[in-house]
Amino acid sequence: MPTPKALLTPWTLAGQSEVEAPARYFDGETGLRLDVDLTLDVPAQALILLHPDLPGGVQHWPLAALRMLADQARTDQLVLSLRADHSYDSALIATGRLTVSDPQMVQDITRLCPDLKRREVPPGTARRVVTRLGLAVGALVLMIFVILPAMAGTMAQIIPIDSEVAWGKSMVRQMERILGGTEAGGLVCSSPEGDAALEKLTARLTGATGVEYDLNVSVMDHDMVNAFAAPGGQIVMVRGLLEAAETPEAVGAVLAHEIAHVEHRDSTRGALRAAGSAGLLGLVLGDFAGGTVAVAMAEWMLNSSYTREAEAKADTYALTMLDNADVTAEGFADFFDSLAEIESIMPDLPVYMSSHPQTAARADAARAFAATQGPTQPLLTPAEFAALQSICD
Amino acid sequence: MSATIHGQYHGKAGPLFSLYFKTAFLTLITLGIYRFWAKTRLRKYIWSATAGDGDSFEYTGTGLEKLLGFLFAIVVLAIYLGIVQMALFYFGLNLFVEPRNQIEALAQVGAIYITLLAVLPLLLFATYRARRYKTARTRWRGLRFGMDNGAWGYVWRALGHGFLSLITLGIMLPRQTFWLEKYMTDRTWYGDAKFEQTGRWQSLYPGLKHVLIAVLVLVIGMTLGIKLQSPVLAGTSVFVGYIWLIVGGVYYRIYAFNVLTRAKMLDGAVTFDSGARTGRVIGIVLTGILAIIGATIVGIFLMGLILMATFGLSFGSLGALFGGYADPGDFNAASGLVGSIVIAVLYVALILALGGLSLVMITQRIISHVVSSVVVANAPHLDHVRQRAADPGADAEGFADALDIGGAI
Repeated sequence: MPTPKALLTPWTLAGQSEVEAPARYFDGETGLRLDVDLTLDVPAQALILLHPDLPGGVQHWPLAALRMLADQARTDQLVLSLRADHSYDSALIATGRLTVSDPQMVQDITRLCPDLKRREVPPGTARRVVTRLGLAVGALVLMIFVILPAMAGTMAQIIPIDSEVAWGKSMVRQMERILGGTEAGGLVCSSPEGDAALEKLTARLTGATGVEYDLNVSVMDHDMVNAFAAPGGQIVMVRGLLEAAETPEAVGAVLAHEIAHVEHRDSTRGALRAAGSAGLLGLVLGDFAGGTVAVAMAEWMLNSSYTREAEAKADTYALTMLDNADVTAEGFADFFDSLAEIESIMPDLPVYMSSHPQTAARADAARAFAATQGPTQPLLTPAEFAALQSICD
Repeated sequence: MSATIHGQYHGKAGPLFSLYFKTAFLTLITLGIYRFWAKTRLRKYIWSATAGDGDSFEYTGTGLEKLLGFLFAIVVLAIYLGIVQMALFYFGLNLFVEPRNQIEALAQVGAIYITLLAVLPLLLFATYRARRYKTARTRWRGLRFGMDNGAWGYVWRALGHGFLSLITLGIMLPRQTFWLEKYMTDRTWYGDAKFEQTGRWQSLYPGLKHVLIAVLVLVIGMTLGIKLQSPVLAGTSVFVGYIWLIVGGVYYRIYAFNVLTRAKMLDGAVTFDSGARTGRVIGIVLTGILAIIGATIVGIFLMGLILMATFGLSFGSLGALFGGYADPGDFNAASGLVGSIVIAVLYVALILALGGLSLVMITQRIISHVVSSVVVANAPHLDHVRQRAADPGADAEGFADALDIGGAI
């Protein structure tokens, strides 16, 4: 390779040049390295590259268009490029690269180039971001609120009843384990009089309305004021709820509500939908410190928005069921009143699932319904009710 | 220009650590949105620290395109995952009607968890796409690297090879390693020059020797231990065998890297050599782990001191340091609150610092060692390579981002 210096003389800039230094130049078209001579021409506001192999032997880089690469490991050199109007794979800079290592030259370029660190954003970027964001949000909303619930609804209808019952039983066993039961059925309460009362209660409620499933109602020994409906007609009443109820009609109302969930296949649908949406939120929020908490919170909020609707429907169904069985809805209202009391005394108590509609509003709805009812008959005798309440003793 | 080029790495611990800390903090306070830019900036640093013949590599990816790719991937994944997971869950439910015993109940639960497998092809797809994106955004001497489209071909090959390795208890692992690497290498370009993976997969077998020793130690030691009824012998051999297995795994990866690199060829003319050493890599990992443990202890000790000081439960001398003797009775709620805030801040800082330490002490030092051990022969041929067209890459590495694979860089 010829020494570039010897060939340079004709172009040496008349007196105006400030600094001269060598630099490495890549034209972005070939892998050939050119060791160019660099001159900083301040009056012309340009960096002049000289090398015999350059087209015409010279290139002028306007100082205003110079851009340096960001976040570079080597502080002893500057990698320069030029602003471009269009590029696919870089932030609007041309493909050519110039590496300057001369300390004086690096210092002068840094001082004289105003936009050296500026990063251009291609036009239309905001529109692209908004479009993509809209599509992503739209797809998620569509999946979570339309497609998955619809699919879950269809699958819940076509699932064979045997599978649903088997699945429901395994869910009840899981529940038992969560409540502290060590062996299957270990927490289930039973006494001859209590069982008879529970059976009578169930028969009264379902006799007039008719139920598609073979109901399997059991009582579990725990202080929690709660009741559950698992898939396939598996219903669990918790002892705490039986004890908190003041009348058999209150217990009957809760049972009717859970029967409504069974008939609507709410938990089957809920679990199927959860299986579909599991992980979708994790995709969005990604993996960063505190991300897990955010995912859990979002899932909880999503879930309670689904269930609120199902709860309201189950209430309506339960009221009709009570009416068909000639049972007053007054007990339902009283029960919600006592729940509201417990809620106000002990806000931390896990009371009858926080996902249920506001208890006061539900009490009012039940009371309004009770006012329209005709003559009613007691659900259980006081003795039977007492036996039911003490089924776990 | 020299005929051979030795890889150089110029990265330093301090600047990379502060870059990591800064970008991780921004990621935290933007609820994760900044992670695309954080990753971009770290890569720019590491790529620019890597050089051959004095010419630095360049990473041209942008945070913006990563965000756009991520949003694109969300659309696809939301639809795919939602439908496939629910369908598999449903069929899992129908596999067994009534679990008659514990085993059937477990099998039913297992069938439901099989839904996780639905993600596996996507993970492999994302792996290839991410490598392709990184390659397409890498430049050296102004010329782009690139990779052909072939993610689905990679998915079914990886599934097939992985299954074969699994059922042969790892005997076919070298075959998997070689053919998957060859699949990717043969689709990789530097400018208009094509890479090629030559060699035979059988040549990777010597790399498994330490894994074999580890398995022998485990099997023989445990058999003898049970026969001689010596729990000490069994326990020792399990411990030794396990450690040996980990080291053997690292040895295999390094061995395979060296062998595969030596058998790579660019444009039918440029060849490579690599002399990465297992001992060095294990040394780096061990010192890195020690540094992380040390930093954790210091951090927790500092938090403990502040807790004691601010809650007024300090020792006499410490109390004096913070303004007079503090009695356990002088519980000060205000200073307790300040203490809690300080500790929360310290806790977050410690978590970020540990991530930075792992990047600087382990990842960067391993990269540095591997880069320095690579040699390129017949380098003047590289002068004749010409630029390749840019790869727009609509999804960047969005799938890998959404599926959380690939880590910090």
